[in-house]
Order: sequence, then C-alpha cells, then structure tokens
Amino acid sequence: MSALMKARLQEERKDHPFGFYAKPKKDKDGALDLTQWEAGIPGKEGTIWENATYPIQLQFPPEFPAKPPKVKFDQGFYHPNVYPSGTICLSILNEEQDWSPAINLKQIVLGVQELLDTPNPASPAQEPAWRAFQKDKATYQKKVLDQAKKYAT
Amino acid sequence: MTKDHNLKVILGEEKYNQIHNSKVLLVGAGGIGCELLKDLVLLGFGEIHVVDLDTIDLSNLNRQFLFRHKDIKQPKSTTAIKAVSGFNFHNSKLVPYQNSIYETDVFPLTWFDSFDLIFNALDNAEARSYINKIGLFLNKTILETGTTGTKGYVQATIPGQSACYDCTFRETPKTFPVCTIRSTPSQPVHCVHWAKNFLFSSLFGEDDDSVEDNSLEGKDASELGTDNQEELQALMKESNELIELKRSIVDESFEDKVIEKIFVKDIENLLKIEELWQQRTKPTPINYTPEYKAEILKITKEQLGTGQKLWTLEQNLSVLISSIRNLQARYSATTPIEFDKDDEDTLDFVVASTNIRSHIFNIPLKSKFDIKSIAGNIIPAVATTNAFIAGFSSLLSLGIFNNPDAFKDTRAIFASEAKDRFLSSGELDHPNPKCSACSVTRGVANIDLSLTFRQLIDALVEKYGYDEEIALSVGSKILYDLDLDDNVEKSFTELKVKYGDHLEILDETDVKGTVELYIETNTDGKITLPELVIPDKPKPVEEKKSEEDEDDDDDLEVFEENDEDELLIVEEKSIVSSVGGKRKLEDAEDNEPKKVKV
Ligand SMILES: [Zn+2]
Repeated sequence: MSALMKARLQEERKDHPFGFYAKPKKDKDGALDLTQWEAGIPGKEGTIWENATYPIQLQFPPEFPAKPPKVKFDQGFYHPNVYPSGTICLSILNEEQDWSPAINLKQIVLGVQELLDTPNPASPAQEPAWRAFQKDKATYQKKVLDQAKKYAT
Repeated sequence: MTKDHNLKVILGEEKYNQIHNSKVLLVGAGGIGCELLKDLVLLGFGEIHVVDLDTIDLSNLNRQFLFRHKDIKQPKSTTAIKAVSGFNFHNSKLVPYQNSIYETDVFPLTWFDSFDLIFNALDNAEARSYINKIGLFLNKTILETGTTGTKGYVQATIPGQSACYDCTFRETPKTFPVCTIRSTPSQPVHCVHWAKNFLFSSLFGEDDDSVEDNSLEGKDASELGTDNQEELQALMKESNELIELKRSIVDESFEDKVIEKIFVKDIENLLKIEELWQQRTKPTPINYTPEYKAEILKITKEQLGTGQKLWTLEQNLSVLISSIRNLQARYSATTPIEFDKDDEDTLDFVVASTNIRSHIFNIPLKSKFDIKSIAGNIIPAVATTNAFIAGFSSLLSLGIFNNPDAFKDTRAIFASEAKDRFLSSGELDHPNPKCSACSVTRGVANIDLSLTFRQLIDALVEKYGYDEEIALSVGSKILYDLDLDDNVEKSFTELKVKYGDHLEILDETDVKGTVELYIETNTDGKITLPELVIPDKPKPVEEKKSEEDEDDDDDLEVFEENDEDELLIVEEKSIVSSVGGKRKLEDAEDNEPKKVKV
C-alpha cells in the first residue's frame, strides 16, 4: 500500500458525520484491514428511508486515491441506481466521471445518503426498483419501507 | 587496461578513483536499465549490481540493445551483464540477481546499505516507491529515471534535502470498464482499444496472449461496468467463438467469417439484450452481402488517399479485407504477429476495424493518422529517449559522488515535447512537508518475533514517551490500537510480522508525528529501538470548505490540498494518453503527468 494511501486511510478512521459509522474490517488474523471497510448510512429523516441504517462495504484499490473505492450495499439492495450485486452507481465513485483524489470518505457516505432518496432514473442499475420508481410509486414506497424495517435502527 | 587513460584525463584522477572504488546498485535491466548499465560500465564504476526479475521477451528487442533474438526467455540481469562484459574496459565487478526487489531475504536492508548510490531504471510506481522508502530508511541517494515516448526525466532523491519520489501525487492511467470496450463503446478511443487489444490480439497474437484486460474472469461489476448476466454471457460466448474463428485463419473465407461474426452476428446478439439499449442508441450491424463485397473490392488504393483522409465505411471494409489477407499470409502459429503502429498491415487492420465498429455504434470515424496516434501511444517506449535519459542519469551521478553539496549542485532534467525547448533542467525541489513518505520519521528496530505486542508497546512508551494511545500497523493491517487490544498478548509471529516489514506507529492523540520502523530480527529475546527525534505532528489548519469549487472545461485540474494555500495543478491527460489499459508493458517507461506547484 502506498504511503499516501496509508496516510489517507489512517486519517479516515476519525471524524465521521453524525449518525454514520465507518471502520476497517477485521481479517482472519484479528488485524484491521485498511483496504476493506464497512460503513453505515442512515436514511435521512422525513424520507421513506428514515429510521434505518444501511450497511455498505468499501473496497479501496491499490491505486487509491488515484482511483475510487468500490462501494456496495448488500446484494439485492432495492434502489434504482444499485446493481443487483449491490454495487452503487454514483458519479463521484466513477473514475470516468466525477471521482477526484480529493474526495474523502465523508463525502462518499454523504453522497450515498443523498442518493437514497434522490435516485437518478436516467441511469438504471436494476430492473425492479427502476421500473417501480418510474411507473408504480406505491409499490416502490412499500418495498423501500419494507427494506427500511430490515435495516431498522 | 590502457582504456583507463582517457577517462582518467576527463574525470581527473581523484574522481576516477572514487568511481572506480564505488559500489552501485542498478534496479531494472529493461529499456533504461540496459542503456544505464552500458554507461556505468564505460564510466568504470567499481562494482555494479543489477537486479531484474524478468526474462527477455521478443517485444524488448527493439530498444533493449543488450539483448538479441537468441536471448529470448533468458534472464535480463545475467544476459545484460554478459553483453557488457565484452567492453568492460575498467574491470567493473558485475553481479546479477534474477529476483524481485521486494525479496527481503535476498535483499535485506543491510544489503541496500552496502551501496554508495542507487540507480532506478524501473517500470512501475510501486517499485519506485519501495526503493524510495529504502532510500529514506538508509539516508541513501537515489537517481530516479522514467520515460514515456519522447518525454522523460532524471531526478535525484537526496533524503532529508530534496523532494522524494512520493512528494508529488501521481495520477494513474484511466482504465475503461470491460463492458464499455466490449459491448457499449461510446467514444472512438473505446473502439481503438477494442480493435487493438482485443480483436487484433485475439486473432493474430499468441494463442495464450493475455487479453486479460478484456477478459471477464475475476472481475467484479464495477470493473466490468455491468452485472447484466445476459450481457456477460453474450460476451463470454463471443470470446469462445473468436477462439473457434482463429482456427480457420488459413481458410480463404477467413475474411468473410471475421466480418460476419464481428460486425454482424455479435452486434445482433448484443441487440437482443434490450436493457442495454434503453438509454443508448442501438448499434446497427453492417449489411454484408456478396454484392456489397464485390463493390468494396473495386475500391482502389488511390481512392483511399492519404492517412489524413476520413474513409467511408466501404473504404474501411476494403482496407480491412486487404489487411486480413496480408496478415493471413504472414501468420503462423509459431510466430504470432504483434501490433506495431509502424507495421502497415497491423495498423490497417486496427484502423479499419476501429472505424467499422465506430460506424456500427454511431461514433464518429477517425482518420488513419489519428488512430495511429491513439493506438501507438499505448506503448510509449522510444529507444532514443531511454538512451539519453540513461546517459543523463549516469552523468549526474558523477556530480553526486562524495559531494556534500549534491543537493545544490545537481539538476533535475526533463525532456518534453515543448517546441522551444526539448530539454529543461532545474534545481531539485525541497521536500513536500505533507508528503506521506518522507515526512515520516524512520529508523530500524531489532525485534525477537517471539515476543508479544505488549512488550513492544511498553518499550515504545518507555523509549519515546508515547502514552498508550497509539496504533501499530504493517502495510494495510492495523495490528493494535486502543479498540483492538485483543492482539496485545499475541506474538509478532502470530500476527505475521516478519523481517523487512515496515511497522508504523501512529500517535492517536495527534501529538507526535508518524514513525515507521524497518523490522530486523533477533532470537535473543530483545527489542532494540533506534534513537529517534520524533517531531510533533504539524497542526492541521482549519479547512476552508468551498464545495462548489469545481472546475471543468479547461484542461487543468486543480486539487486543493487539505490545508495551507498550496494548489497542485495536474495537467490532465489528453484522451490519447489515457488509453492506458496495457500500461504495464515490460518497459521502464512510466512517466507521470507533471505536477506544477503554484
Ligand atoms: Zn516525500
């Protein structure tokens, strides 16, 4: 791991926005692996995503911060811009789009939180949530609320 | 030997003897390394140790002049040394190593310490950073080099005085998701990448030629750019059919089979996956009939004009067919064909298939000239650049030897494509105070690995006055911090700490600066820590946040670093140089975008 990557990730271990958590995962030897993180994204109050904290996994590539981390919800996460595998489709996480080495973990988790209630129908990543969001708001709401129960805090 | 005489006169007796009694390390025997080894031998360095793990490949021969065709598959290190032995006029002692530079049992810290100077002739940032760190641990000067095409640099790293290799941030080449290349291209560069690295190498390259950039195995959704199973299956099928297709390379109908599969059937298959085209313009397969082909074959060379001209679809098809015929005639399984921008047949094939694909996907076509420059830049190795950059490196070393004022006396040298000045030189930069490599305090610790972390923590507290709020880590693994105290009773061995690891000590109270210790080992039950002066951690200045400060349109990208009024401007890479999928090809041409401080 490059010296810069290490310094950046060590720095990320402190200072998370209120209601969020983010930490490196423990590996099989009982050490914390700075390249593999888990974080929790609280749904914004006053939205159908509220009262739940949605876990995400972040994987930092060896080229970080030149390249963005890979960020995933659980597999099958219900959201128009989340692939069936859980991979999040968000421009700041895309090297070809808005990723910049200056983007920090705080901006990433806030970006993901923002995405929850403001999906972008122009870049669908999964069929069910995308279709429902476009054509059947009632079903969409119900599914999101069910999911919120699953991740209730 | 009498040849000594001239050199003694030129360098002076004293300098000559210094050089003759010195011991230097050359890391890398590739494009720059071969040149540099020749230079160092001719300058009469006393002892030259050469490290390179690689063996010689056909593609090396156009610029690594110490190697000949008969040397293919031989180790670079030993072969290079054998080659220069023929003109080893000053009787330099030459020692080869066919090892990875990271092997700490072959190359312990004490081994690095035995050299007077380290010459880097490397091809990747990771190894450069590793040697940089070794230099920082040992306070040893490194002469670092790199080239990309006609650009190149030589820069000395003098620990404690000059900027180090990691003082500047480097962008890595952009990579394209596999599916962008394979099924949903949207820019000409995607099609060039596909034509050269996927199609051409699948059809005419070595059988096991790694098209790894474009294969689907072991990649996850974000690398692939999709996790549409239907799409992935279609791509898998495409690849398998391509292998089939290659078997008929000797058939007369090969050209038709290629066109029918690549530009008709594969596209029809992609069209069946409706989701792909909900937000995108659908591709249109070409309508390839015998009558159409007859028309195409009537096109003459004269009608194609110069390389600057934009060809029509039909003209591209005619070029494709004639290039396939030529390549077919040249092909044999034992001598696969490599893409070379100066090999007309390979270039024509790539240009024509790029444009036909662009046409299918409604992407603007490009001239042969443009495609040549995009495709050609992917392997930016120019023998002449390697030669003169290596030359400068060897000459600069003369001024560094035994010179306490080396920092002042040495120049960094850059070769650029600027019209008015091909070469420029400047004073060495001062270290970047925020550099995560050289702002760290370093030393060597000697530890019995059967001892526990508790014993190390106690020793650290006693020796350096930490309180217990520290985090200890090796590489990406945090082995201890206050919330991870279940490891304290474990031994170093249990936590997989070994000789040569770099153990980082982070003061979580943010008082002391970061320390990194190179781990040497003993079996005497001892922990010996180095004498260190650990400076306080610089106080972070309050960030002034300007969220909306995004700049687009012009070609400069500005990063605002966390604090202080220092802006780093990175010249954004042109689309041409960002076709970097195959960047890691075997040479020492790893130049990064220039960084400008303002
Ligand atoms: Zn530095």
